Amino acid sequence: MKPMELIEQGRFLGEEFLLWLWMRGLAEGGTSGLEGDQSACFVDDAVQLVTERGDVKELSLRKGNPAESREAFEALSRGMRPSKAKVRLLSGDMEWTFTLGAAGMEISTLKLPPTQSKDNQGRVADRLFLLEEGMAHLERRFEAFLTARTQDPDELQETMRAWLRQGLEGLVGAGADDLPWQS
Amino acid sequence: MSLLQGTLSLRRFLVMGPVPTEADLLEGLRQDAFRPFEDGLEEERLGWCDWRNLLITPPDADWVSQERFAIFSLRMDTRKVPAALLKARVELRLQTLQKEKDLAFIGKEARISLADEVKAELLVKVLPTPRVSEVAWDLKGGMLWTTASSSKTQSALIGLFIKSFGCELQPLAPLLLAGRLLPKIPVEALMGLEPFDLNLETA
Repeated sequence: MKPMELIEQGRFLGEEFLLWLWMRGLAEGGTSGLEGDQSACFVDDAVQLVTERGDVKELSLRKGNPAESREAFEALSRGMRPSKAKVRLLSGDMEWTFTLGAAGMEISTLKLPPTQSKDNQGRVADRLFLLEEGMAHLERRFEAFLTARTQDPDELQETMRAWLRQGLEGLVGAGADDLPWQS
Repeated sequence: MSLLQGTLSLRRFLVMGPVPTEADLLEGLRQDAFRPFEDGLEEERLGWCDWRNLLITPPDADWVSQERFAIFSLRMDTRKVPAALLKARVELRLQTLQKEKDLAFIGKEARISLADEVKAELLVKVLPTPRVSEVAWDLKGGMLWTTASSSKTQSALIGLFIKSFGCELQPLAPLLLAGRLLPKIPVEALMGLEPFDLNLETA
């Protein structure tokens, strides 16, 4: 299979993975669900949604809190799928932010945690280490998503649909029942 | 935007093929090192350079190997004569030629040849625009990171990579990554997955 065909054929998996990250960010505190993993991952303040049907083919939601917005959930419930999202990944005192593309799992505008080294050799070694560390967190999540996706696809689909319904009713994220100032 | 500082935009590729020895790797980098433009009509040139400085070609052997990574850069230079300038120059040259040789008409082939001549003259004066994409090849993991983000640069990288090192690069898209992360799941099972229906309006 040619590379472009391989990318096209797996595009939906990338889109659903972004949605899974989005869902876990809002519903599970961004955890991966894997034992011993203390990292957290959230969809941040930029999401791009696409569809092949309807009058609007692409919707870009930026600034504010698009991940919890009614606009986003309405679009998702109409069958739009995330093609790109800004992601925030946290582990200990380290933070990675980047835009993740669904089609090719491409990473853009990646901000790595700061490095201490002053010389070129040390800096590049540190940054490659941090890059791999961040991607390992992301891959662990992709693996967890794939496991759920292949073991019981119906259950995962239903979980996502239920989450979308909750989102439409404003029952996910900080807009839900656990507002910090209400406790 | 670089491996050394600032934000990064990256693509990941799976490297398919035998890992070269250090000597073969350096030989590949030397053989296809970036070489500057010379006379002629060439508008694009590409080759390997050092990741620290695009003027260091071939990449400095002492800096290529960084732990289990081989780090170098792909340099792509383009030079172009502005079309309007070329057209104007050719027209003036044609007029001069007609006057000098007292010609009523200059044939198509002669026009093309004159245009090429003018273009070659002007190209020498044009400063090339370099574009550098870094490459970090994890020799043990069989993975390659690159800052090449446009499809044109990625195609150039794939082409030159196979020429220099005999290895094929496959973009690490979801299906390929899935196969790598979950080798126990048969490829057919992954390929047979259908997209979720998350459209609530049709329910």
